[in-house]
Amino acid sequence: MRGRFANLSRRIWIFLAIMGPGIITANVDNDAGGITTYSVAGATHGYKLLWTIIPMTLVLIMVQEICIRLGAVTGKGLADLIRERTGVRWAAFIMVGMILGDLGNIISEFAGIAASLELFGVSKYISVPVALVFIWFLVHRGTYKLVEKIFLGACVFYLSYVISGCMANPPWGTVMKELVVPNFSLSGDYIIILVGVIGTTIAPWQQFYIQASVVEKGITTKEYVYSKLDNTIGCIACNIVAMFIIVACAATIHVHGIKIESAQEAALALKPLAGHWAFVLFAIGLLNASLFSATILPLSTAYYVCEAFGFEGGIDHTWKEAPIFYWLYTLLVVIGALVILFPNIPLISVMFWSQVINGVLLPFVLIFMLLLVNNKDLMGEYVNGPVLNGLSWIVVAVLITLSSMMVITSFLQ
Amino acid sequence: MNHRAQLHVLREFFFSQIQGEPIYDPEGNRVGKLRDLAIRWEGEGPPRVTGIKFAKGYQKHIPIDKVEEMTHDNIRLVGKLKEEDLIPLQPDEIYVGKWLMDKQIIDLKGSKVVRVNDIKLFWVKSGDRKYVIPMAVDIGLRGLARRLGLEFLFKRLENQYVWWQFIQHLEERTAALQLRAERAKLDQLHPADLADLIEDLDYKKRTDFMEDLDVEVAAEAFSEMERDTQIEILEHMNDMQASDLLEEMPPDEVADILGELPEAKADALLNLMEPEGAQEVRQLMVYEEGTAGSLMTTEYIALSPQITVTEAFAQLRHLAREAETIYYLYLVEDDKTLSGVLSLRELLMAEPDAVLRDLMQTRIITVHPQDSEQTVAENLKKYDLLTIPVVDEANRMLGIITVDDILEVLIPDRSSLETFANFFVSKRTVRG
Repeated sequence: MRGRFANLSRRIWIFLAIMGPGIITANVDNDAGGITTYSVAGATHGYKLLWTIIPMTLVLIMVQEICIRLGAVTGKGLADLIRERTGVRWAAFIMVGMILGDLGNIISEFAGIAASLELFGVSKYISVPVALVFIWFLVHRGTYKLVEKIFLGACVFYLSYVISGCMANPPWGTVMKELVVPNFSLSGDYIIILVGVIGTTIAPWQQFYIQASVVEKGITTKEYVYSKLDNTIGCIACNIVAMFIIVACAATIHVHGIKIESAQEAALALKPLAGHWAFVLFAIGLLNASLFSATILPLSTAYYVCEAFGFEGGIDHTWKEAPIFYWLYTLLVVIGALVILFPNIPLISVMFWSQVINGVLLPFVLIFMLLLVNNKDLMGEYVNGPVLNGLSWIVVAVLITLSSMMVITSFLQ
Repeated sequence: MNHRAQLHVLREFFFSQIQGEPIYDPEGNRVGKLRDLAIRWEGEGPPRVTGIKFAKGYQKHIPIDKVEEMTHDNIRLVGKLKEEDLIPLQPDEIYVGKWLMDKQIIDLKGSKVVRVNDIKLFWVKSGDRKYVIPMAVDIGLRGLARRLGLEFLFKRLENQYVWWQFIQHLEERTAALQLRAERAKLDQLHPADLADLIEDLDYKKRTDFMEDLDVEVAAEAFSEMERDTQIEILEHMNDMQASDLLEEMPPDEVADILGELPEAKADALLNLMEPEGAQEVRQLMVYEEGTAGSLMTTEYIALSPQITVTEAFAQLRHLAREAETIYYLYLVEDDKTLSGVLSLRELLMAEPDAVLRDLMQTRIITVHPQDSEQTVAENLKKYDLLTIPVVDEANRMLGIITVDDILEVLIPDRSSLETFANFFVSKRTVRG
């Protein structure tokens, strides 16, 4: 009995040591853009999009698992593999796209920081510079281990959405039913938001980030089981949070027929409908998510760009050892923050282009991932099995269709 | 030497510039295009291009001496291409395009891992023979831009080369490729540089790489690595090789490292080590982390107080190889109790036939194995010592702790918040 307990506790310790990449990556899916999308989805369509949560969780687990496996077996990042296996042109094409797409996302994270603190009466001319300095120093002064611990800690704050969802007092029976019964409508409005929800959950940069952090942690095929668990927990948690955001907005804003277009408006609309604390928690959630993603996104962008082009990178290096890494990182956060401070920047069109770029890149990234994971020279016995492989190609085909639809619909709008 | 004097560079170019260029025979028929170049990586003589891969899926090459002229936009052959002239890839050859371009290599001069953006080739004439020699790999931004067709934007930037003799490739090689010459190159690096290099590699290559090195060199480099990397490497190495590596290291370090491995793995490694060394390590592993016991090493110089200075020098000559420090000599009775200490300076200045017991200092500062690191640090500082002996309750000698050992605890490699905290703590306790 004692032996079994010791064994169990040993496994738990190993898991705690391995934990991180999956949970963090999944949580960054719920960034400022994600929260906006879910809020708008809930406010406009009520519970009608809840059914997407379960299939999306499964797809997310599957896609991210491929990258974890690639990282654990090869010990190399995705950017590294793409450069080595498909050559410099493809790598350059993807990296340039990623820098532009991510920059758009970073801008939206800073917009989220500004918006959430404006809800508490803090001017963006104070909040954005303070956040910029905080983020820059965290990465500059910390080791990777420390930064990862802070990230993991920040994941707890996502619970604020679960609480504010409960405070909205939704009809739980309806929620449960809508969660399992697919509800498809062909109205253009509905399809746009459906694709938006999926697009915000599965983005190209995540695949690079999760694989890089698996490699950085030195996770190998031996600990890979724990990483899979980490990934599964992260994806489920991320989608539960998404579900509660939809529920909170559906139970209040949708019922009263109020129209909103941003997470900030959602929080304000919650105030009279679900109470002051629901508003506070919603706003804190938005702040945390934006801050969290504003740190991780530029960090991972700089990391995989350096990886693809063979520059030294990673925050365990000094500025002198890895100048390009730090310059790129600094430029990304500084531009991201400055854009928000300029009053006349057309934020909507920045977002639009970033979404389009991500939509264009996603098919390439997913196809490269599948080609790599099926490469026997590279993966040995860890290639996809036939069933998983068939399933992966189907999922990838569906995702590609949806992301092309998103690109096309965004132009039609 | 003679042929060197006549070496004449006809043309220089980059691999990316000639890759894909058409190959013509003297009658102007297109034979194929340059897909890849086979080069001799190791073996006799300088590296040189041996053949051109000219058709997709076809494993034979055009030998380089059949090439009449090579320019940026075409390659012309000496005569008509005949099937019997073609040669297959030899065991000591590699394809530059497939196995070198875009891959990571080690820059031995800068001691770091870099990525190959391009390869610089010389088309040279020596007597009446012509060769293509790979001169350097291009790891710079300009090389990257050239591959993307954007070199014109970076014309003002210098190309960043690593010369051929300073590179070490990393990709899985064919079994027949000789490793000896590569090892010799790596052996010249400082162990600390080698350690940094290995830390830069991904974990799979780290292990392969360590296994390729001479065991003594590997152990020295291994000692310089950060603890996490050490653990990772041991976990991926096979047990036989890991235990060989550990045998080359001081027992206190081995004890610290094994203390962080899973128990089963540590036991397995200890069982494979020489019994004597393993025994010392086992004794050291008993002590808890953060105590004097866990810091100490058993490799110190112990002499009998009965002997003379001349005899002491004779013994020192033997003992000095293994000991961590020889600056202090500990005088230990037959029952292992510590009775005195003598510095090397004092021994040097003494008369040759003086007996050590008459020379030694008997007022010795010692610590016990269960004392904290802070106590050790305080004592070293307060009494200005380089080394402090560790004894048990009955004053029996157990080991020594050197300033180096304690410095490693107080100042880890990287500047980080933790270092700051350590510094803060140690400062306070030393003062108090």
